[in-house]
Amino acid sequence: MKYRIIKAIDVCGLNFLTPIVRLCYGEEPDKQLKDIGRFIVVPVLAFGVFVAMWGYLAPRHKTKYGAVPTPAQTWRAFCAMLTIHDRETSKAEAFVAGEERRRVILDFTVNRLAELDPLASDAKKMLAEAREEESAAKEALITPINEELSQLKDSERAGRKEKEAALKEMAESLEETGGEGRVALIEAVRELGDWRDEQKELQAPLKDKIKAIRDEKTPAVVAALAQDTLYQEEIQYLKKLQEMAGDKSREETVAAGEAKLAAYEEEYASAAGSAALSLAKKQVTQIERIAKDREKTYAMPWTLPKQAVRSVMCVFSGFFVGVAIAIPLGVLCGLSKTFMAAMTPFIALFKPVSPIVWVLILWIIVGGFFPDPASSPFLGRLNDLVNAVFVPLTLWLVPDFEINPAFIASALTVSMCSLWATMTNTALGVASVDPDHYNVARVLRLGFWSRLFKIVLPSALPLVFAGMRISLGVGWMVLIAAELIASSEGIGKYVNDMFQNGDVRSFAFIMMAVFIVGAIGLVLDRIMIVLQRAVSFDGAPTAI
Amino acid sequence: MSYLELDNVNFGFGPPSSRYEVFEGASLSVEKNEFVAVIGFSGSGKSTLISLLAGLEAPDSGEVRMGGEKVGPPGPDKGIMFQNYSLLPWLSVYGNIELAVKQVFPKMRRGERKEYVQHYIDMVNLTGSEWKLPGELSGGMRQRLSLARTLSMKPDVLLLDEPLSALDALTRSQLQDEIIRIWEEDRRTVVMITNDVDEAVIMADRIVPLTMGPSARLGREFPVTLDRPRDRATLNFNPEFKQLRNEVTRYMMDLDEEAKELTVAGDFPLPGVAPKSFTARVTVA
Repeated sequence: MKYRIIKAIDVCGLNFLTPIVRLCYGEEPDKQLKDIGRFIVVPVLAFGVFVAMWGYLAPRHKTKYGAVPTPAQTWRAFCAMLTIHDRETSKAEAFVAGEERRRVILDFTVNRLAELDPLASDAKKMLAEAREEESAAKEALITPINEELSQLKDSERAGRKEKEAALKEMAESLEETGGEGRVALIEAVRELGDWRDEQKELQAPLKDKIKAIRDEKTPAVVAALAQDTLYQEEIQYLKKLQEMAGDKSREETVAAGEAKLAAYEEEYASAAGSAALSLAKKQVTQIERIAKDREKTYAMPWTLPKQAVRSVMCVFSGFFVGVAIAIPLGVLCGLSKTFMAAMTPFIALFKPVSPIVWVLILWIIVGGFFPDPASSPFLGRLNDLVNAVFVPLTLWLVPDFEINPAFIASALTVSMCSLWATMTNTALGVASVDPDHYNVARVLRLGFWSRLFKIVLPSALPLVFAGMRISLGVGWMVLIAAELIASSEGIGKYVNDMFQNGDVRSFAFIMMAVFIVGAIGLVLDRIMIVLQRAVSFDGAPTAI
Repeated sequence: MSYLELDNVNFGFGPPSSRYEVFEGASLSVEKNEFVAVIGFSGSGKSTLISLLAGLEAPDSGEVRMGGEKVGPPGPDKGIMFQNYSLLPWLSVYGNIELAVKQVFPKMRRGERKEYVQHYIDMVNLTGSEWKLPGELSGGMRQRLSLARTLSMKPDVLLLDEPLSALDALTRSQLQDEIIRIWEEDRRTVVMITNDVDEAVIMADRIVPLTMGPSARLGREFPVTLDRPRDRATLNFNPEFKQLRNEVTRYMMDLDEEAKELTVAGDFPLPGVAPKSFTARVTVA
C-alpha cells in the first residue's frame, strides 16, 4: 500500500508529498521531518517572502493605472472574477428556467433588493460624508500652499512688469546707445526669459504638492467607494436577473409571441383580401420567430473561466496539429540523414521566429480561406463538431466554442512555435536507437514497418514525450500572446480587455491572470509528466 | 564436410589508408550438433567472428558456409545471443519472446503461441516473471530471457557471444549448467565465444583459441574428450581436466607473449632512481 502510494506520487511528479506519506507510516521520522522542512516548508516560506515583498513594494509604485495591486487586491480581484462568473451563469440559468424556478428566482431578487436598498443608501451617504471630509481635509492642506503660490505669482508678475518697463526704455533709447545698446537689449531679453523660467521652477514644487494632495484618496473614501460599488454592482445584477427571470425569460418571450400569433389567427379567420394576405404573412413570420425564440439562450459574455477553458482547448488543438506534423517529420529525420539535411534549414530558420510574427501571418492566411466567416459552411460544421465533442467535456461551462479564424490562427501559431521541440526530440530518439536493437530486428527479419513500430518508435517514445512536454509548455506560453494579438477569446484576450478598459481593478485582474496562466501551465506540465512516465521504460527521472 | 564453415576469411574495418585487419585467413569448421568454444583475449575479434557467422557482417574475402551453402543475411535460423542481452526494454519477458515467436512462426495460432512462449519461459526458469520488464530483472535473469528468446526461434545454429561474461561467478556457473542441460535435451550446433578457459573446458566439445589481433586467425584446436555429463564438483580432481586446462591456458599465455613481442618494441629502460631516505628532523630550539 505504502509503496503503491509513493509510486503514484512519483508518477504524478508530486514528490514533495512522499515524506508525508512515509511519516504517516512511521518510517525514519527524523529524516522525513527534515525532508518536509526542505521540500514543503522552505518553498512555502519562499513564497511567503515573495508575497510579503510584493505587498510592501507594490503600493509604493504609482502608475497611470493607479498603484501596483497588492496581493490582497489581487486576491479580491480573483474573488470578484468568480462572482462575475457566478452571476452570469445564474442569469443564463434564469433565462431558460421553468416557471417555478423563475418564481423562486424572482422572489429571491425582490427580497435581496429590499435588503440591499437601505444598505446601499447608507453606503452612498457614507461615501458622500467621506468625500466631504476628505475635501475639507484637503482644502485645509492646500490653502496655505495656495497662498504661498499666489504670493510667488504676485511677486513674479510685479517683477515682470518692472523688467518689461526697463526693456521698453532700453528699446526707446536705442538711437542714443547705438550698436552696443542693441547687443545689450538682446542680452536683457534673454535674461528676462531665464528669470521667468527660474520663477516657474520655484512655483513647480508647490503645484506638484497641490496635485499630489488632490490625487490622493483617503482610505475612508476608498473603502466607502468600494462598498458602494459592491452594492451598486449587486443591485444592477439583481435587476438584470429579475429581467431574465421575468419578462425577458425564454418562456415569457415565447408566451408573448404565441399570444400575438393567436391574435393574428383570430383576426385572420374573419379577414379577407389584402388584409388577409398581410395577416398570413405576419403569421408565418411570427411562427418562425417563435421557433427561434424557443432555441434562444442567454448570450453569456466570456467570463474568465470560460476563456480559460477555451484557451486550454486552443492550446491542445494547436499542440495536436503540431505533434501530428512534428512526429512523422521527426521520424523521417531520424531515419534518414538526407532528409535531416533537407529539414535542417527550415528548423534553423523558423524555430527562432517570434510567435507574434506567426500569428499575424497566420491570421492573414487563415482569413484568406474564410472571407465571410459567419456563413462559411466549413467553419459551421467544424464548430458543430467541436461543440458536440468538447462542450460536454467542459460540463457545459462553455456552451459554444465559436470556432472562428482568430481561433484557428491562434491554434496554428501554437503549432508553429511548438512543433520544433517535438520534431528535434523525435529525430534524436529515432536516430539514437540502440544498434543492438537493430541487430535484433535484422535477426528477426522484421520488415520496414514492423521495425518502425516494434523497435524504433517504442525505443524513441520517451524522448518523443519529453519533446511533447516541452512543446506543450512553449505552446501555452505562446498562446496567451497569440490570443492577445489575434483577439481570439481566451485568457490573452481577457488580459488585453483588462488593459484596454479603465476600471480601477483592471490592473489587479491582470495580475490575477498571471497566476491563473501559471497554474494552468503547471497542471498541463504535470499531465505531460504523467504521460512521459507512463511510456518511459528505463525509469529515468523526468526532471522537476 | 562440416556443417558450419569459415573458409579462409579476411575481414577488416576502415578505409584502405588506415585499415584495421581483424581476420586474415581465418578458418573454422564446426560439425553438426557440435559444441565449439572459441576462446580469445579481449580485442581479438571474438564478437566480429560471431557477426560473420550470423551474417550480420559479410567477409571481405573467403566464405562463410552453413550446410554447404553460403551464409545469407541474418535470420532466425542463425540464433544469436548478444553479449549485452539486447532485450527490448519496453516489452515484458513474455512480450520479448512473443515478438520473436510471432515473427518466426506467423501462422501459429494464439493459444498455441501462448503455450509455446510459456514453454520457453519455463525452460529457462523464469516462471512467475512473465510480466516483468527487463529493467526489473537481474543480470542472470536477463541473460536467461535472452537465451529463451534465441531458443524460441528454433535456430539451426546457436551463436553465443560471451553469454556469461557480464555475470557474477555464482550465477555464471548456474547458467553454464543450464545451457548445457538445455543443449543436451535438444542438441544443435553451438558456437560459444568466451574468455574463460574453465567455462570452455566444462561446456565444449572442442576449444578453438583465437590468436591475438590484429590479423587474427584461429589457432590450434583442443578437443575435449571428457565424458558428459560433466560434474563441476568432481571435475576439479580429474587429471584430464586439469591437464587440458593447463594446456589451453599455457597456449593462450604464449599467444599473449608472442603478441607482446610483436607489438611492443621493448621495455623502456627506467633509470634506477630511488627516493633519498629522509627522516624527520626535529630541531629543538
